[in-house]
Amino acid sequence: MRAPPPSRRPRRVTIVLAQWCPHCVPLSVRNEERIARKLGVPLRTLDIDRKDQGKEADRLVRQYGDRAPDYLIPQVFLEWSDGTVQHLLTGFSEQVARTAAAWRDLLGSAWLARTRREAGEG
Amino acid sequence: MSARGLPPALRDSLRVRGGSCYRHCQEAIRVREIAGGSPGLWQVMACPSGVVSVVSYSEFGPSDPSSRVLSALRRWTRPPSRVRRRDLRLATRHGPELGPRAERWLAHARPGEKVWVVYWRVYPVKGPDGVERRLGVCFRHPRSPVFFLGAPDSPTWGCPDCPPASRPSRSPAKRDARPRPKGR
Repeated sequence: MRAPPPSRRPRRVTIVLAQWCPHCVPLSVRNEERIARKLGVPLRTLDIDRKDQGKEADRLVRQYGDRAPDYLIPQVFLEWSDGTVQHLLTGFSEQVARTAAAWRDLLGSAWLARTRREAGEG
Repeated sequence: MSARGLPPALRDSLRVRGGSCYRHCQEAIRVREIAGGSPGLWQVMACPSGVVSVVSYSEFGPSDPSSRVLSALRRWTRPPSRVRRRDLRLATRHGPELGPRAERWLAHARPGEKVWVVYWRVYPVKGPDGVERRLGVCFRHPRSPVFFLGAPDSPTWGCPDCPPASRPSRSPAKRDARPRPKGR
């Protein structure tokens, strides 16, 4: 993941999830809140089982995420002020502990530190 | 364009370390890496009874390897029609979520190349007789694993490619004498 141009800023974090998925709730919801707080942006949750949210979830995954007929969840996206959408994370099918490790790495990553720094400077 | 396989920094990060059987028993899974004739990393996660939790294939390259994964799995599965495209699920990995070493490596990778991971998970199915069938694996064949669908509690549970007399009745993986990958 490369550094974003400094002219744009993070705008919103979105997570596509299902309430029954142990990779999603509570693990990824909690970590989505952390990353949104670190970036100073609001968060949005799209539940694939809710009629009013499922379509937008499918669209986001189809356009920017890891699409498959029966796609993996959770998928996490960062929307930018210039309209671009960046796919950040897809759950690890192997086990919930692996998804938890991925969140730890993402929250401690050089990419996140750089993005926060540049957003602060912008 | 050909795939470039997986450099050590990515391979280490994508190796599965432990875990327990998915919705079958409480046993720890065993992770087997298989050659598979592909540049990437094949991993089969199965419990000691030979019930498969998930199979994954990871590769670094310019294109989605799902079609090649589908072909390989169909070669290894009895019958091949058990492998359906909708049971393959794709994930791309970017670097920050893979740890500092992988993140550093991927930061200098060529644009357009990605880490692709394709998962094959087959959920249990109930047959017309009401018996639950699960995906099993046998590693007793020299060239490739053999995947099959069966009822783990049945006396006929076992690899269809093995002679019936040599089929392990309850724990096929324990009778597999081939060395397992080290250290993970």
